[in-house]
Amino acid sequence: MNVTEQDFIALLPLLILAATAIAVMLGVAVRRSHALSASIAFAGLVISFGSIWIAAPELPRQVTPLLILDRYALFYIALLTVSSMVFILLAHGYFEKSDDDHDEMYILMLVATLGGAVLVSSSHFASLFLGLELLSVALYGMIAYPRRRPLPLEAGIKYLVLAAVSAAFLLFGMALVYGAFGTMRFDEIAAQLSRPGFDRWLVLPGMALIITGFGFKLALAPFHIWTPDVYEGAPAPVTAYVATVSKGAMFALLLRYFYKTGGHQQAPLFVVFSVIAIASMFAGNILALLQDNVKRILAYSSIAHLGYLLVAFQASGDLAPMAVGFYLVSYFVTTLGAFGIVAVLSDGGRDADLLDDYRGLFWRRPVVAAVFTAMLFSLAGIPVTVGFVGKFYLVAAGASAGLWSLVVILVVTSGIGLFYYLRIVVAIYSEASQAKAGPVIGAPAVAALIFLTAALVYLGLFPQPLLALIRGLTFG
Amino acid sequence: MTIVFYTASAVAIIATILMLTRANAVHALLDLIVSLLAVAVIFFVLGAPFVAALEVIIYAGAIMVLFVFVVMLLNLGEPATRAERALLRPSMWIVPSVFAAILLAEFIWLLVSGDVPPSAVAGIEAKETGMALFGQYLIGVELASMLLLGGLVAAYHLGWRKVPQTEATHVSHP
Repeated sequence: MNVTEQDFIALLPLLILAATAIAVMLGVAVRRSHALSASIAFAGLVISFGSIWIAAPELPRQVTPLLILDRYALFYIALLTVSSMVFILLAHGYFEKSDDDHDEMYILMLVATLGGAVLVSSSHFASLFLGLELLSVALYGMIAYPRRRPLPLEAGIKYLVLAAVSAAFLLFGMALVYGAFGTMRFDEIAAQLSRPGFDRWLVLPGMALIITGFGFKLALAPFHIWTPDVYEGAPAPVTAYVATVSKGAMFALLLRYFYKTGGHQQAPLFVVFSVIAIASMFAGNILALLQDNVKRILAYSSIAHLGYLLVAFQASGDLAPMAVGFYLVSYFVTTLGAFGIVAVLSDGGRDADLLDDYRGLFWRRPVVAAVFTAMLFSLAGIPVTVGFVGKFYLVAAGASAGLWSLVVILVVTSGIGLFYYLRIVVAIYSEASQAKAGPVIGAPAVAALIFLTAALVYLGLFPQPLLALIRGLTFG
Repeated sequence: MTIVFYTASAVAIIATILMLTRANAVHALLDLIVSLLAVAVIFFVLGAPFVAALEVIIYAGAIMVLFVFVVMLLNLGEPATRAERALLRPSMWIVPSVFAAILLAEFIWLLVSGDVPPSAVAGIEAKETGMALFGQYLIGVELASMLLLGGLVAAYHLGWRKVPQTEATHVSHP
């Protein structure tokens, strides 16, 4: 099969991401400059984002058996590139505070974003695995990036070992499905699954192993054990990246794979997904109550949020893809914002991740405190914020499919969740115990936080344009 | 043919279990190599001689090189020589050798009996593999190259240690 000119145009966002990674690397060879590398990476992401409009007329397009570029893929590529831009704005100020070479971070980040873009547009097990590995291998380096500090190294090793194990699960599952169907393309798997008479004893264990692999990446209970340690150990901007880009790309893939093949409607798998969703909602919210570390609280909260997303995923009506898409956007905005606050308050030595670091923040830095409060309210799903609209559609999708038990658990666990978000808020507004002003916040990080806060309020008040856009997304 | 397949499979499984239960890394490596060779024989029986060759060259070959590197890096004089002698007791190499001999016997038997490749599966040669890789899976090859780039940059950053300026000049101008 030849790759034609149209294929190249459809692939432009991915090609530009790959080219930018190489451009940053060559730039480092000429001159090591943190600002220069960050600027090249940022410019590349902007061009990649812009090229989505060039690629759009060629849609939907199957480029070789591996990739499918459709509106769904381009929407998530846009989301990933914008999040990566926010990451650069946050990371520049964060890493500027410590003296080491920072240029490699941007190369790794671009490789990881490319991996995410491949994941959301993959239509074949081979590209799924390659995208996943691109993401994982780059993340090992990003998580352990401050290599003189013990915590990031520990987090990096943990992520490396567990990601490798989960990749083995995923591969074994793919091999079983391939053994049953003789194909690795999603559309052909879908065709074979819709016909009765396939070998259930190969397909169901295969699907279960694939879900295990996905579950690890998405940090769903009971595959979530690594999450708090890695989130705590990784540098704050990288934590934001792991929580958003890595998980978001994986969830978009999960949605495409299972909606296309219809695999999740097989009775045993439906039960498996329900159990995982319930376990994630309970484990995330209850374990978060026991933490005193803000990064760990946010880690457990992200486990719970992925559990909420699974409720809409299970619903799989007309409303479901829209609810999932909107909730992912709201999750991206608020998670980037919350970890962004942690990043800007950290100095070179350690991350500001203890609850005590936030005690009396309002009296020292009222604006930062207000932004953090808004992010926490959005995570908790309080009205006027985007998190409320997102959660509303999740409940609507679940209710319209009649998944009452899941919806009730969603509501109950959200109520539990409110408590630990409010714990942070109370700390922020309590009497100041220390007079330390904290580090100066650079202009890029300020721009990122303004953008995120604006998105949070705007989408909370006017969700219609985004909803209309997401409703128009179709699998090619 | 079936006997060859099951014997090779049994060797692969037993060698892997032995690998996992060894306390010494070098002994574990020996068992791992046997396990990889057994998988190569399985590939050969299934009609993929090219993949079998790759398995031997890349996995068994590359790991052999790693093995040599380990020995070289740890070779610190007389104590190391003694330790090495202790590593190579017959009780340690006899089991992997027997397994390797079984695999070799199977391979020779396959070649002599002329029963290659089995009639059920068409042999997949280097040409077909190359056509698939650089035809419909071209993007996969390119993505793999980006994967190597990412791994390289990460390994470089984590492994690199800043040499103090004075030492650096000393090294560059001896």
